Amino acid sequence: MIGSWYLLVPVLLPILSGLAVCFLKPFEDTKARNRFTLCVLVLNVLAVLPVLFAKDMTLTLFTLSDTLPVFLHTDTAGKIFAAVMCFVWAAAGAYSFEYMAHEENQRRYYTFYLVTLGVLMALCFSGSIVTFYMFYEAMTLLTVPLVMHTMTKEAVAAGIKYLIYSVVGASLVLLGVFLLSPYVTTFSFAAGGVLDMEKVAGHESYVLTVAFLMLIGFGAKAGMFPLHGWLPTAHPAAPSPASAVLSGVITKAGVLGTLRLLYSFIGADFLRGTWVQTAIMSLTLFTVFMGSLLALREGVLKKRLAWSSVSQVSYILFGLSTLHPLGFAGALLHVIAHSLIKDTLFMSAGAIIEKTGKTKVSELDGIGKQMPVVMWCFTIASIGLVGIPPCLGFISKWYLAQGALSMTGVAPFFSYLAPAVLLVSALLTAAYLLPISIHGFFTGKDANGQVRVFSKCEPTYVMLIPLVLLTALMVLLGIFPQGLTNLFTTLAGTLM
Amino acid sequence: MALLPILCFGPMVMALVCYIVGRFSKPVRDELVAAVGFVTCLACAFLWNQTGSFTVSGFCGLGLHLSVDGFRSLYALVASFMWMMTGIFSKEYFAHYHNRNRYYFFNLMTLGATLGVFLSDDLYSTFIFFEIMSLTSYVWVAHEETPGAMRAAGTYLAVAVLGGLTTLMGLFMLWHELGTLSFDGLRAALGGQPASTTVTVAAWLVVFGFAAKAGLFPLHIWLPKAHPVAPAPASALLSGILTKSGVFGLIVVCSRLMAGNAAFGNALLVLAVITMFLGAVLALFSVDLKRTLACSSMSQIGFITVGLSMMVLLGEEGSLAAYGSVMHMVNHSLIKLCLFMAAGVVFMNLHQLNLNDIRGFGRGKPVLHIAFLLGALSIGCIPPIGSGYVSKSLLHESILEYIHLLQETGQSWGAYKFVEILFLISGGLTIAYMTKLYICLFWEKHPTRQAEFDAMNKSYISVRSSVALLGSAIVLPFLGALPQALMSPVGARSASFFGQEALKESIAYFSGENLLGAAESIAIGAAAYLLIVRPLLMHKEGKVLVYADCWPKWLDLENSVYRPVFTQFLPNVIGAVTAFIANIPEGLVVQKIIPEIITGVVRFLCELPEKIVLFLKNTVLRKRRRKEAVPIGNRFTYGSGRFMDAIARGLNATVCRRHPVRTDFEFVLDASGKEITRGTIRITRSISFGLLLLCIGLFATCLYLMIH
Repeated sequence: MIGSWYLLVPVLLPILSGLAVCFLKPFEDTKARNRFTLCVLVLNVLAVLPVLFAKDMTLTLFTLSDTLPVFLHTDTAGKIFAAVMCFVWAAAGAYSFEYMAHEENQRRYYTFYLVTLGVLMALCFSGSIVTFYMFYEAMTLLTVPLVMHTMTKEAVAAGIKYLIYSVVGASLVLLGVFLLSPYVTTFSFAAGGVLDMEKVAGHESYVLTVAFLMLIGFGAKAGMFPLHGWLPTAHPAAPSPASAVLSGVITKAGVLGTLRLLYSFIGADFLRGTWVQTAIMSLTLFTVFMGSLLALREGVLKKRLAWSSVSQVSYILFGLSTLHPLGFAGALLHVIAHSLIKDTLFMSAGAIIEKTGKTKVSELDGIGKQMPVVMWCFTIASIGLVGIPPCLGFISKWYLAQGALSMTGVAPFFSYLAPAVLLVSALLTAAYLLPISIHGFFTGKDANGQVRVFSKCEPTYVMLIPLVLLTALMVLLGIFPQGLTNLFTTLAGTLM
Repeated sequence: MALLPILCFGPMVMALVCYIVGRFSKPVRDELVAAVGFVTCLACAFLWNQTGSFTVSGFCGLGLHLSVDGFRSLYALVASFMWMMTGIFSKEYFAHYHNRNRYYFFNLMTLGATLGVFLSDDLYSTFIFFEIMSLTSYVWVAHEETPGAMRAAGTYLAVAVLGGLTTLMGLFMLWHELGTLSFDGLRAALGGQPASTTVTVAAWLVVFGFAAKAGLFPLHIWLPKAHPVAPAPASALLSGILTKSGVFGLIVVCSRLMAGNAAFGNALLVLAVITMFLGAVLALFSVDLKRTLACSSMSQIGFITVGLSMMVLLGEEGSLAAYGSVMHMVNHSLIKLCLFMAAGVVFMNLHQLNLNDIRGFGRGKPVLHIAFLLGALSIGCIPPIGSGYVSKSLLHESILEYIHLLQETGQSWGAYKFVEILFLISGGLTIAYMTKLYICLFWEKHPTRQAEFDAMNKSYISVRSSVALLGSAIVLPFLGALPQALMSPVGARSASFFGQEALKESIAYFSGENLLGAAESIAIGAAAYLLIVRPLLMHKEGKVLVYADCWPKWLDLENSVYRPVFTQFLPNVIGAVTAFIANIPEGLVVQKIIPEIITGVVRFLCELPEKIVLFLKNTVLRKRRRKEAVPIGNRFTYGSGRFMDAIARGLNATVCRRHPVRTDFEFVLDASGKEITRGTIRITRSISFGLLLLCIGLFATCLYLMIH
C-alpha cells in the first residue's frame, strides 16, 4: 500500500525532469536529451499505474485560507483521464523525436513538454475547483510555448489567440466560482454536486445562469461553439506532435473540467431538465455538425483535422450533457477513442509533412504508395473516427446514442435529433477523411496509360511504432470494450 | 460451435497469410487463394444439416452471436461456393493485372465478412460484418483505378456508408425500444403485437441500409455503375452474393419486425416493383455487356423483394412467397456467377464490353456458348431447364394468392393485378435483353474483326477457367429440371428463417397455370425483342445494324439529383451558412461588435469632459452680449462713415439744401479702407517692405550708436 505522498511522484517527476532538461549541462546534447525524455515519459506511465490501482487518496498541498485547501484527490474519473493523458503524451513524445529533429529550440520544447505533463497529472487529481482552476491556468500558460514553437508570425499569432481564448474561458469559470461561493457547502468536488439546496432555493435561475457561463468557459478549451475559434488556428501552426497532444489531450482537460462541473460541482440532478441542459446540448450538437461540415470545406490537412477535433470533442461534451449513465459512459469511451484516433491522425499528418512537405489534401495523391504503413494507420483511424465497427469509435457512438435516447427531462425531440446529428456528422467525417486514403492508395494510371510509380519515403521505426501501437490499441479496445464499458457505467452510477 | 467463428475469421487471417505469401511467390498465392475458397466451401458443406450457435459475449460491446440453421447454412454454402469458383477462375483472369495482392487480400477479407453476415444471429453482429464487408468490397470496385472505376467506387462507398449509418440509427432505436437485437428476441419482444410507430420508423431505417446494398430503388444507383468497372470475378460476387447480404437484412426485418404489417408490405412492394421494372428497362436499353447484367441483377433483386413484400402481406400464409424468394435468391446467385464469369471471359480476351465491339465473339466457342446459354435460359425462366422458372412461378403464384385472398374478403385488388402485369412484363423484358445479349454474342458477326475472334477459338480460355465456368453453369439445368428434388428442400429448410411454416404438400411446379405464366412472359419477351430491340434500339450505320445507346443521359438519378445535392448543395450552401454562423463569435462579435462597443464607450468617456465644457459654454457660460456683426466694412470705416453720413445729412438739411452732398461715406470709406488694407498687405508681402524695415532697423541702430 502506498502513502498519499506518492501522488507527488507522477506530478513532480516530469516537472523536475523538465527543469533538468532546461538547466543541466548534459542535456544540451540532443541524443542524451531525447533518451532522458523518453525515459521520463515511460517512467511516468509506470508511476501512474500504482495510483490507478490504489484506493482513492487525498494529499493536501497547502491552504489558501482556512476553508480553501489546495489538495490532490484521486477518484475514478481522474484516474481514467490521467491514464489516457500520460499514455498518449508518452506516445506523442516518442514520436516527436524524429519529427523535431530538424526543428530549432528543441530543449525549450521538451522542457515545456515535460513540465506540462506534470501539471496535467495534477489537474487530473485535483480535488477542488480552486485547485483545478490553478492547474488549469498553469497548463494553459505552459502549452503556449508549444503552440508558438516555430516562432513564425502565424505561430505567434496563433499562440496569442489560444492564450486569449483560454484565459477568457478560465475567467468565466473563476467568475462563476466567485458568484456561486455563497451557495455551496464546499469547494471540493463531491459526487452529486456541492450546492447547498437550502441556500439555492429561490435563486435557481441565478445559479443556473452562472453554471451556464462556467460551462461555456470550460467549453473554450474543449473547442465548443461559441469559443471554438482557437482550435483551427492553433493546430496548423503548432508542430505536429504538439498539435497531436493539443487535440488529443489538452482539449480533454476542458472535457474533464466540464465533467467535474456537471457531476461533481453543480450536480447532475440539479441540472437535469433545465434550460441549461437544453442550451448546452444544442450548442454541442451544433458544434458537432459545424466542425464536420467545415472540415469538409477545409483544404489544408492539419486544419481539416483541427475542425474534426472541434466536432469530435463536442461528441464527448454532448455525452456528458445527456446527464444519463449511458451517455456518460459513451462520453468517456469517446475520450479514449478520440485521444487515440486523433493522435494517430495528427502523427500521420506530421509524418506526411515531415517527409514530403505537403500540407494540402489535394497534393496527397499516391501518398499511400509512398508511406504505406503510415497511411494504413491513417485509414484505420479514419474508419474508427467515422464509427465503423469494430473500432472503438463505433462503441462510443453506440453508447452516446443510447444515452441520448434514454435521457429524461429534455424535450423528446432531442432524443432523436441527437443520434441523427451524430450520424450525419459521421457521414461528413467519412466524406472528409476517406477520400484522402482513397487518393492515397488508388492512384490510377498516368496520361500515357502507365502505372504511376511513387518512391517510398516511410519514416523510421521511431515514428512508426507509436503510430502502429495507437492504431492497434484503438481496434483492440473496440473489439473488446467490455472492461472499459463496465468501468464507465459503474463510475456513472457513483456520480449520479 | 467453434466452426462458425473460424468460418468468419479464418478467411480474414488467411487474407493476411496470402498477402505475405504473395510477396514472395505469386503462383503459390493464387493456388492458396483458390484453396481457401475450396476449404471454406467444404466447411460450409459440413454445416449443411447442423444447427448450433456460438457466442462471444462482450465482443464489440453487445457481443458476437453466430448461429447456423437451414437457411444460413444454405447461404453460407452458396457464398463459399461462389468464392471457390471465382477463386479458380481468377488466376487466368487476373494474369495481367496489377495490384493482385491487394485484390486477393480484400477478396478474402470480404469472404470472411460475408460469411459473418450470413451466419449472424443478431442484427448487431450482422451490422458489424456488414460494415466490414462494405468497406473491403470497395477495393473490388476501385481495383482498375481508372477514372470511371474511381467514380463508381466513390458512389459505391457513399451509398454504403450512408446506408450503414442509417441502419445504425435504426439499430439505436430498436435496441432502445426493444432491448434486444437478436433475431428471435426481436420477434419475442414484439410479442405478436403490431409494431409501435417508433419500431416502424426504426425498421424502415434498418431497411434503408440493407436496401442500399441490395440495390433497391432509389438506392440502386451504385449497382449499374459499379459492376461494369469491377473485375469480372468481383462483379459476380458483388451481384451474386453481396446484394444478397442486403436481402438477408430485409428478410430479418420482414419476418421479425414487420410480419403481417400491410402498410410496410405495400410500401416495400412499391419499391420492389419499381426496382424490378426499372432494372429490366435499363437492362434492355443498355449496350454494355456487364451493365446489362448489372441492371438485370437490380431487376432480379426487385423480383425477390416482391416475394418478400408478398410474404409480409400474406402474414402467416406466406410460405409460398418465402419459398419463391429464397429459391430466386439461390437461382440468381448461381446464374449471375455463371453469367458474369462468361462476361469475364469476353473481357479478358477483348478488354471491351460494348455490344458493338464484342458481337460475334462467342461464335465457335462451345464452352462459353454452353455456359452463357444455360445462364440465359435460367434467368429467362424458360422451362424445363431454366431454373428461374421454378422460383418465379412461385413468386407469381404468391401474387395470385394474395389477389385471391383480397377477392374473398371483398377488398379492392386492382393494384395487385397491376403488380402482376408488371411482374409478367418484367419477366418478358428479362427474356428480351438476354436474347439481345445472346444473339449479339453468339450469332451475329463482327463486321471487321470476326476473323480475329475466330482465331482465338483455341486459346481464349484455359482448362482451369472452363472448369470454373462450366461447373457453375452445369448446376442450373438440374435445379430447373428437378425442382421437387432440389428446389423444394431449399424452400423447406429456409421457411423457418422467413418466419413461415414449411409446406406440407408438394408444389406442382409444372402446372398448367404456371406454364401459362411462363408462356405469357416468353410471348412478351419475343414481342419486346422483335418490336423494341430490333427496330428501335438498333439503327443502321452504313450496311451494319449497330446497337444504339438510346437511354437519355440526363435520366440518371445519380448525376441529376444525388451528386448535385451531396457534392454541391450540402457543402457549399449549408456549409457556407454554417461557416457564417461559426464565424459569428470571432468574426462578428470579437472583431466587429465588441471593438465597436468598446471604442464607442471609451470615446464617449474621453470626450465627456470636453462635451461637458462645450455644453456649459453654450448654456451657463454663454457670453451675455455678443457684438453684432458690422454690416459693411470694418468697425472703423463703419463708425466714421456713419458719423460722416450723419454730418452730411445735417448739412443737407441745413446749409447745403440747394446742392446736397450725395456721397455715401459709409461705402466710400469702406472702399478706401479695403484699398488701403489691400495695399498694406501687398506692401508687407513685398521685398521692398522688408528692405524698408531693414533700413529702418539700420537707421535706428545708427541713431542709437550715435546717441551713445
